[in-house]
Amino acid sequence: MRKGVMRPGHIQLRVLDMDEAVNHYRDLLGLIEMDRDEQGRVYLKGWTEVDKFSVVLREAESAGVDFVGYKCVDEATVDRLREELVAYGCKVEDIPAGELKDCGRRVRFDSPTGHMFEIFATKTQTGKWGVGKVNPEAWPRELTGMKATRFDHCLLYGPNIAGTIDLFRTVLGFELAEQVLDGEGTRLAGFLTVGMKAHDVAFIEHPEPGKLHHASFFLDTWYDVLRAADLIAMTDTSLDIGPTRHGLTHGETIYFFDPSGNRTEVFAGGDYHYPDHEPVTWEADKLGKAIFYHDRVLNERFLTVLT
Amino acid sequence: MDNNNSEVRFDSDQCHLVRIDKQDVAFSAAESRNLLVAMEQARQSGIYVGCRGGGCGKCRIRVLDGDYASKRMSRAWVSPQEEAEGVVLACRIFARSEMVIAPYPPELAHSYQTP
Ligand code: FES
Ligand SMILES: [Fe+2]
Repeated sequence: MRKGVMRPGHIQLRVLDMDEAVNHYRDLLGLIEMDRDEQGRVYLKGWTEVDKFSVVLREAESAGVDFVGYKCVDEATVDRLREELVAYGCKVEDIPAGELKDCGRRVRFDSPTGHMFEIFATKTQTGKWGVGKVNPEAWPRELTGMKATRFDHCLLYGPNIAGTIDLFRTVLGFELAEQVLDGEGTRLAGFLTVGMKAHDVAFIEHPEPGKLHHASFFLDTWYDVLRAADLIAMTDTSLDIGPTRHGLTHGETIYFFDPSGNRTEVFAGGDYHYPDHEPVTWEADKLGKAIFYHDRVLNERFLTVLT
Repeated sequence: MDNNNSEVRFDSDQCHLVRIDKQDVAFSAAESRNLLVAMEQARQSGIYVGCRGGGCGKCRIRVLDGDYASKRMSRAWVSPQEEAEGVVLACRIFARSEMVIAPYPPELAHSYQTP
């Protein structure tokens, strides 16, 4: 049952060198640099996103993810869900308005997989970038690189995904769209959505807590994924795998790494989900095909290389 | 120790021989290429290839001999003390002389929380 959470709102990533990271997220992915703050954090977004930013880069001594935030329909929903999170047993922290520039207060909470999440309802809306609000053109002519349209989802690794998936379903109203089950019926992976998208967040069982597998950005077409691969070659960017297709969600995809080792995905296509849809199930012995639909073989790197 | 050595220059094409200790592996590494990518481009193996960006820790090695320049590497996998003792991530160091290295991959389930 939906509980008033709308969509992924932002992800804060740790990077080892800010200039290199900006080259990756702004110039290669084609995200729009929207702002910077006194801490030196850089705020970006995909051009179709109406809120001011969706990606925050923080220079730090390690790579990985600080937190992922989800946007709710209103402040009353944030209040209600805050109480439910406390009742569920989460450690909850209130982050004041303005801690992220032009973002309202956020409620941060921990999770069994060791990741930090947030809910919020208020962020300055600057509208889609480069096109007007009335009679908008199809796309802005000033886009660069892969022309990523939005921050779409992230895949997180950690222990006890059953716990975090239950938290997301029970308290936040996410629905299980796809899953990987082993022979005993244990869920090794869960793909969750709060809307019609194939996934808004995904989890894979892994002993190390709080790990990031990838942050993913949406492109319009399969051809755009192939063009992204060309740009990866032209810029000598660290390639992981692709272009290929996923079995899970059936999206067309390529994985590569930012200059601090955080994995990036750009993808197109993918299935859709309605609340009355049964979860789509992949069996663990078909995991190769579930992840890499063409090769049908999982590479070691997909399961172990994380930040 | 601030290890973000952004002032180091990485544009020399001079090459150095790098040997992996106790393995029959050697490759030539240009001063401008990190050791891990130099190994891959020489179609050699012996060090695990992960992100190539200093984040995942999979390429961790011990430098047994030789000089190198380095870029910032994740503190999740290499402490300042280890770095001073020659424990480094192969994808973040650049040969400055002939080198001898040994794989030193991290244990799984390393937990590190960033302040
Ligand atoms: S390959 Fe990831 S840290 Fe070197
Ligand atoms: Fe993905």
